[in-house]
Amino acid sequence: MSPAASTASADPITSEVIRNKLEGIANEMEMTLLKSSFSPIVKEGLDTSASLFTVNAETLAQACAIPVHLATLIPAIHNMLQRFPLATMREGDAYILNDPYCGGTHLPDIALMTPVFHAGRVIALAATMTHHGDIGGYSPGSLPPGATEIYQEGLRIPPLKFRDAGEYNETLVALLRQNSRLPDSLMGDLNAQLAACNVGARRLGELATSYGAERLMAIFDDLLDRSERMTRAALRAIPNGTYRYVDTMDNDGIDLDRPLTIEVAVTVAEGSIEFDLTGTSAQVKGPMNCVPSGSQAAAYYAVRVLTDPAIPTNGGCFRPVAIKLPPGSLVNPVEPAPVNARTSTIKRIATSMVSALAQVLPQRVAAPAAGTLLVVAFGGRHDDGRRFIVGELIAGGSGAARGLDGVDVIDTDASNCMNLPAEALEMEAPLRLHRVELRRDSGGAGEYRGGLGVVREYEALADGIAFTHRGERHFSAAPGLDGGLPGASACSLIRRADGTQTTIASKLYTTLDAGDRVIVETPGGGGYGDPRRRKAIERDVADGKVSPEAARRLYGGE
Amino acid sequence: MARVRLANAARHMNEHSTWDVGVDIGGTFTDVVCRALDGRLHLAKIPTTRADPSRGVLHAIEHMRRAWNIEPRQIARFVHGTTVATNAVLERKGAKIGLITTQGFKDTLELGRQSRRAVYSVMLKPETPGFLAPGALRREVPERMAASGAVLVPLDEEAVRQAGRSLLAADVHAIAVVFLFSYLNPAHELRARELLLALRPDLMISLSCEVDPAFREYERTCITAFDAYLKPVIDRYLERMERDLAAHAVPAPLQIMQSRGGVACAQVARRRPVRLFLSGPAAGVIGASRVGREAGALDIISIDIGGTSADIALVHGGRPIIASEGTLDGYAVRVPMVDVNAIGAGGGSIAWLDAGGSLRVGPHSAGAEPGPACYARGGGQPTVTDASVVLGYIDPAYFAGGAVRLDPARARAAIERSIAQPLGMSVEQAALGIHRVVNANMAEGIRLVSVKRGIDPRGFALVPLGGAGPVHATALARDLGIRSIVVPRHPGVLSADGLLCAPVEHEAAKAYHRRLDEVDAPALAAQFEELDARCAALMAIEGVASAAVAVHYFADLCYVGQSYHLEVPVVLAAGVPQAIERDFYALHDRIYGHSTPGRVQFVNLRAVHQAAARELPAGFEAAAGQGAASKGVRAILTEATGGFVAARIHEREHLQPGSAIEGPAVIEQMDTTTVVDPGWRAQVHASGHIVMTWGETP
Repeated sequence: MSPAASTASADPITSEVIRNKLEGIANEMEMTLLKSSFSPIVKEGLDTSASLFTVNAETLAQACAIPVHLATLIPAIHNMLQRFPLATMREGDAYILNDPYCGGTHLPDIALMTPVFHAGRVIALAATMTHHGDIGGYSPGSLPPGATEIYQEGLRIPPLKFRDAGEYNETLVALLRQNSRLPDSLMGDLNAQLAACNVGARRLGELATSYGAERLMAIFDDLLDRSERMTRAALRAIPNGTYRYVDTMDNDGIDLDRPLTIEVAVTVAEGSIEFDLTGTSAQVKGPMNCVPSGSQAAAYYAVRVLTDPAIPTNGGCFRPVAIKLPPGSLVNPVEPAPVNARTSTIKRIATSMVSALAQVLPQRVAAPAAGTLLVVAFGGRHDDGRRFIVGELIAGGSGAARGLDGVDVIDTDASNCMNLPAEALEMEAPLRLHRVELRRDSGGAGEYRGGLGVVREYEALADGIAFTHRGERHFSAAPGLDGGLPGASACSLIRRADGTQTTIASKLYTTLDAGDRVIVETPGGGGYGDPRRRKAIERDVADGKVSPEAARRLYGGE
Repeated sequence: MARVRLANAARHMNEHSTWDVGVDIGGTFTDVVCRALDGRLHLAKIPTTRADPSRGVLHAIEHMRRAWNIEPRQIARFVHGTTVATNAVLERKGAKIGLITTQGFKDTLELGRQSRRAVYSVMLKPETPGFLAPGALRREVPERMAASGAVLVPLDEEAVRQAGRSLLAADVHAIAVVFLFSYLNPAHELRARELLLALRPDLMISLSCEVDPAFREYERTCITAFDAYLKPVIDRYLERMERDLAAHAVPAPLQIMQSRGGVACAQVARRRPVRLFLSGPAAGVIGASRVGREAGALDIISIDIGGTSADIALVHGGRPIIASEGTLDGYAVRVPMVDVNAIGAGGGSIAWLDAGGSLRVGPHSAGAEPGPACYARGGGQPTVTDASVVLGYIDPAYFAGGAVRLDPARARAAIERSIAQPLGMSVEQAALGIHRVVNANMAEGIRLVSVKRGIDPRGFALVPLGGAGPVHATALARDLGIRSIVVPRHPGVLSADGLLCAPVEHEAAKAYHRRLDEVDAPALAAQFEELDARCAALMAIEGVASAAVAVHYFADLCYVGQSYHLEVPVVLAAGVPQAIERDFYALHDRIYGHSTPGRVQFVNLRAVHQAAARELPAGFEAAAGQGAASKGVRAILTEATGGFVAARIHEREHLQPGSAIEGPAVIEQMDTTTVVDPGWRAQVHASGHIVMTWGETP
């Protein structure tokens, strides 16, 4: 049952057949991960990815549900190969790391890689990354909001052997178990990662048997070259030049009065693209710092958005990409800066990189989305003493484009999270949701209107509930495009049972007692074009998305 | 009217014989299957009247009378599969509806779950079906249940009346009512219906506590709104069809195929139109499972290769795998359905070269119009079907039994121009390349669907359906390590045939949030009794005697804290919670690769009542014997042959049961072509289906 041999080593047909196989293998690895993992964040948040790499640490194929995982394994694989050269690898080895300062992302994300052997030599690498339930540190879940040093965030794992020729590294396993609040879940998920890598290794081995290892590796090179050529061709279609974009983040959660700047200069020149983040704020005390793997994921996400979606995603797409990250900055912190809350930073970097090209690529780039996920979390005890903790990730609106209104309340850019149903929230915790509704007038006005944010109103039904609010876009707004107006900024407040009311300044940790209410309003996306040209404004008013007053004032409806 | 006679049945008419009739109305063709108790069988494909698909039934009745001498009064059973519900959604032709919700939650339908499908794009489109009831047609009323089901805020009845009056004034034809936690306490929704009916007694109303009594308000709102959106459309459609049948004095009641793979009478089916989304494909899977059973295969993977897509489904232990939810036009539809997974690869898939010079196939398709280049209807781009012609698989003069004459020169020219010349290879090598690429796509699709269900495809038989299915079967099986293939006797009309072997089936479910260790057998029995009563009432409408009904119970379970669940069969007996727990662990282990003893909880309970269809003989008539089975040889090229080889061409009509064919060979019939690769042996089974087996150790 072996495919017909062909004399050419990498004809365009066999290449495409192999490409389909590689994507199938990556998907099968990802399916194995999703199915056999324990941690709910993997199963329900899809916070995991599976990749195949060449022996030169270039991505061959990847399966991931959220872009923040795109290419995020590349720096980890580089660091592993530096510490453990190919020539030293043995069949049955597995390598592990999570240290953000050695190519990782944040400590709960653990990378695991196995070499793929055929006829005694390494022909490829199979790797996975999973967000684990707990890896120590000062708060359960290893995402401490007030961390000021990485040492507070959990156990750092440099590149190490997890298995040596099929034997577990028992010293490491004992150390890992001892440092996690959920040792069984940690080991279960690591074994799921190992199982996924083994699926990749088995199926790649079958391909090598069918096609011959030499020919297969030549095809790998051909596939990377093809995606590189296609990406360069797509980049050549963008006018040469440097395109800039600056955005502001509220604060790092520690220094509440200090806004942060994200500055991007995107230079497109003859089929290459450079993202220079010079001008971005210095690193911060709080955990919003983003190590280079995060900026790289954002840059690769941007390249995929800006070029032809038909280009097969692999390491070839990333060859024309250069990234400049000023040392000691928010996007290239020096250790021991804390990094666990870097997702909100990656989201804004990604949006900024894409938005910089809005003027030259109107067919691919909409007005900026709100570009944030509000994190709220409630923790405490039920009447009967049982503990509860529920968290929610709440999106805003997306940006409008020529011919296209923004979408209301949808996760954009580097993340892709689901919300929590009221009926799930109220079963889990002594909370009541009084309303979940579209936030009228929050979409940026325009000929094409920006997407709306959402209003959620919670009431505490018990005393002593610890409440975390990690907001963004409270002090800035998603701008409009080509005459469109900005979306509304975020706005949250606490109304205590006694009637006193306080505005939440972006980030807050406090305690709620029975009867206290929290009302959050997420930001809207930017509008596109002159609002006075909007044709659907009457429908907007009828459907309650725009108030009659705003229709008159912004859309000139009278 | 183009008519294709597929069977060779006796022409004489028996005045007293009765017929079971299956009519599957698709977008292009209406398939008709008539079976008699004595094994006689008639099949036809007649074009669908696109403007009014329900006319297909009249055409079928006319055709039966004229071609086969079957009078309408001889019809003992009439089962219909339809795409009308699906098309109403795809074409946005449902009714104008209103939506009434709990105060503070009228936007749930539009807010959805906030995740997106287009991951690498900032040009986003809505993920939720807000079009079902835009803001102007949504109303809120004061009322509220707690998560315990207790009443927190009583229903404001005047607010319901006001909401109803204003929606009626806005000219809605149906109203959906969705209150929070109604799956735990339906009192307010039930009372709202009374109040609305008092305003207009014939108003169509869908209550979420009846359509989908399960938690998560977006999914429940979505499916309830779809139900209301479809009700007036389906009601009209079925009423017209019943009237037509009555006008022809057809004594059989109209039965409709539901997405779960069971049929229901029209009177019941119109109450819950969202159960009809997969009416047609479900019948195909039921048909495939019958084919597998007749050929001795209980574990099968069916792949129905059409023009633009391939539908993949699994049958395990003779039972089609049922999913508790699916998607329609990208929207979540939480209603049980046969688990059919579509991938964008079919006979019409277009082959193209990307900017990097690689040969790609699909996802764009030439569809039926203009169709592949060889159809000579203006299509100039090369497709998979064009490649099949160049490679010798399809005889251009004998496609669809000769009903469509293909132009091989156009097939060659299209492949030459778009693929072969730019790549500097022969037309034949380019055509083979198209097949290799599309087969790799489909094989990975099948593998993923199997792996997702914890199933190794190597132990399953492949059942290829659709006109193009058997063309690809041996190549796909080889890739997947599958060693057995069953080609149905009539793959082109399998959906219509499946209609006749599906049971009458009714299902009732309820949310049941209890930990396993809090429940005993009597408590469960009491819950199922309530569900049994609901199913029995529906069976009574069908006129099915309770003695003929088989009852099955199921429970959806999860570990405490998990937010997804698995369905486990329940047998009410002493020690039932322990048995359920054991089965849950085993299933969790099979599907998710692990299970550990832990706290397990119920999510939903479900009763399924089935009454089997009357047993009809397989209906295979042996070849008349007058024609020669072998029609000579033709050169074919497959990946397995390497170069062109002489393949013997066989006429399926003339193959006797037991006769065996060694690959390379091609078996031709009116509705499909089967390619037998070298190493495969095809044998006509006693049932009339062809069983192909891999001859050597792979």
